[in-house]
Amino acid sequence: MNQTLTINISGIVFHIEVDAYEALKVYLNTIKSYFNNSEEREEIMLDIEARVAEIFAEAQNDKNQVIVMADVNKVIVIMGEPEQYLTDEEEEIPTQKTHRKREDKKLFRDPDDRVLGGVASGLGAYIGLDTVWVRLFFVAAFFMGFGILTYIILWIVMPEAKTTAEKLKMRGEPINIKNIGKAFESEAQKVGEKLQNVDTNKFSSKAGTVLENIVMAIASFFTAVFNIFGKVLGIAFLFVGTFMLVVLLALLFGSTAIFSISNDGVYSMASQDFFNLIFVNQDQFYLASIAVFLLIGVPVIGLIFLSIRMLFKVRSHYSVGLTFVGLLVVGTILAFMVGTRLAVEMSAEEEFEKTEIISPDFNTYVIKTNITEMPGQGVLEDKFTSISIEGDMMYQRFVELSVERSKNDSMMITTNFSSHGKSPKDALNKAKAINYVHQLNDSILFFPDYLATNKEHKIRGQQVEITVYLPLYQSIYLDKSTKELIYDIDNFTNTYDKKMVGRKWVMLEQGLTCLDCNDIEGITSKELEELKALKMVETVIK
Amino acid sequence: MNIENTQAQMRKGVLEYCILSILNNGEAYPSEIIEQLKQGKLIVVEGTLYPLLTRLKNADLLSYRWEESTSGPPRKYYQLTDKGKKFLEELATTWDDLVAAVEITRKPTKK
Repeated sequence: MNQTLTINISGIVFHIEVDAYEALKVYLNTIKSYFNNSEEREEIMLDIEARVAEIFAEAQNDKNQVIVMADVNKVIVIMGEPEQYLTDEEEEIPTQKTHRKREDKKLFRDPDDRVLGGVASGLGAYIGLDTVWVRLFFVAAFFMGFGILTYIILWIVMPEAKTTAEKLKMRGEPINIKNIGKAFESEAQKVGEKLQNVDTNKFSSKAGTVLENIVMAIASFFTAVFNIFGKVLGIAFLFVGTFMLVVLLALLFGSTAIFSISNDGVYSMASQDFFNLIFVNQDQFYLASIAVFLLIGVPVIGLIFLSIRMLFKVRSHYSVGLTFVGLLVVGTILAFMVGTRLAVEMSAEEEFEKTEIISPDFNTYVIKTNITEMPGQGVLEDKFTSISIEGDMMYQRFVELSVERSKNDSMMITTNFSSHGKSPKDALNKAKAINYVHQLNDSILFFPDYLATNKEHKIRGQQVEITVYLPLYQSIYLDKSTKELIYDIDNFTNTYDKKMVGRKWVMLEQGLTCLDCNDIEGITSKELEELKALKMVETVIK
Repeated sequence: MNIENTQAQMRKGVLEYCILSILNNGEAYPSEIIEQLKQGKLIVVEGTLYPLLTRLKNADLLSYRWEESTSGPPRKYYQLTDKGKKFLEELATTWDDLVAAVEITRKPTKK
């Protein structure tokens, strides 16, 4: 028995033997080559195909369900060879053209295999390339900027392959059984889907009322719009997903991982060393990395996957979704484990204080720091480096300075060291391990703006809080370098920290007051006399 | 001179007139038209009809509507337009003239 193909003629599905199919194809192509006017040709071919389908349908019964050579011959006898019905217009055509049976390819859009307009599949058929590659090219071209325009132009220029004969011309493969079989395997699958739609779809659009036609047209318009919207969304997903995946991979596997968080326009950068300083050991770090990858990477890959589905209508097995969910669950469990461990590590907090009494040798002490770079290699970057390492040492910029009224007549500096740890003892050890020393040179008080510890103590919220206690009428000058060091200093004029620097401040009964501002607000005459006696106020004040 | 060719030319000349006449009796789909034309031996093969119908329709002489078929694809039912009816009337006049002319030529002339 001959190999059979499944074809669709005028919306009706037939099984046809290969040799009969070839004869039919040659016959239809011969008829077609007689007509010059392409618009008329389109319609005439559709009519003829409809009649062929009718004849085939009549020929079929329970016994004969396959179209054979005899059926095709019958069609040719009924319909006649085109030579027999030449009309005036066609007589000018040279006769040898009518006998040309060579299959030359023509460029058509393929309505049976399309995402948007069938341009890619038509092109693929024309140049003999798998449609997937053509589509990938268009997606790539979209990112290079010329894809959309190219596609639209091709969509307009390329005609749609409507008739069976045109579809054959579009494929235009050398005629042999193997190729035809291959070309029509896909058609056979489509036919199955179409069969269910034939009765409703095809007829209602053709035999329906004007109103139905309009409704159908509007419906198909919206379908197309949604389709295009889906594609655009898919492309956006693909772009965003790929970008996120690259960033994530760089974060997890790059030596200086980028950890860019947009927060008030502030970007942060943390290297792997930073995470090593947070996690208890290397294993925790790996677990955390896997958790992050699963919790962020899996949704990102899912996004890329979804975009490919939207773009190419690839059906995915339901197990893919289940796998995604499973990986997310694993990621959550890992994150919970690591998180709990870290929470334990940070559970206790301890602090201790050192106090130094400063002899009030000067009316005004200058409070300074340095705004130089942190020593060593930065591992956590914010607006400036927050944490850095050098050798075994780790430096953290968690130092704060405040100014308060002394409870007695002496000037004091207290330094509070605090840290978290897994137990109070551990926390205290870590606090004591903090190395932080300020210096006093004549009237200059120098406070470093970072603290140092050994790396082995890890980052556990170590902090140094300095309080400078001023007795009455003691004055300080806040150097401009202390802008980032001072923290919420109470003062009479409620001046904001950043605006306090570069000025002299004096401790009065009412609190810290600006001494070199235009006016010393709220000062009493007694206090003014006192300041004059101390020669702190000389000329300006009246 | 080929006798078959001349016969075909003569038939072709009246074919459009006949199609319009058939449709003047009511709408029909191609197979019905073909049936009548075959009875009159005006056409031999069906393929002849489709290009003619399309051209008549494109000339606004015919219009059609779709109707479902139980035994195959939907069918096009053709009918005459107003323009087609006028066209047919003129053709009928021409036909009568032709018949008269042929009659005249066939009669032996008196000397």
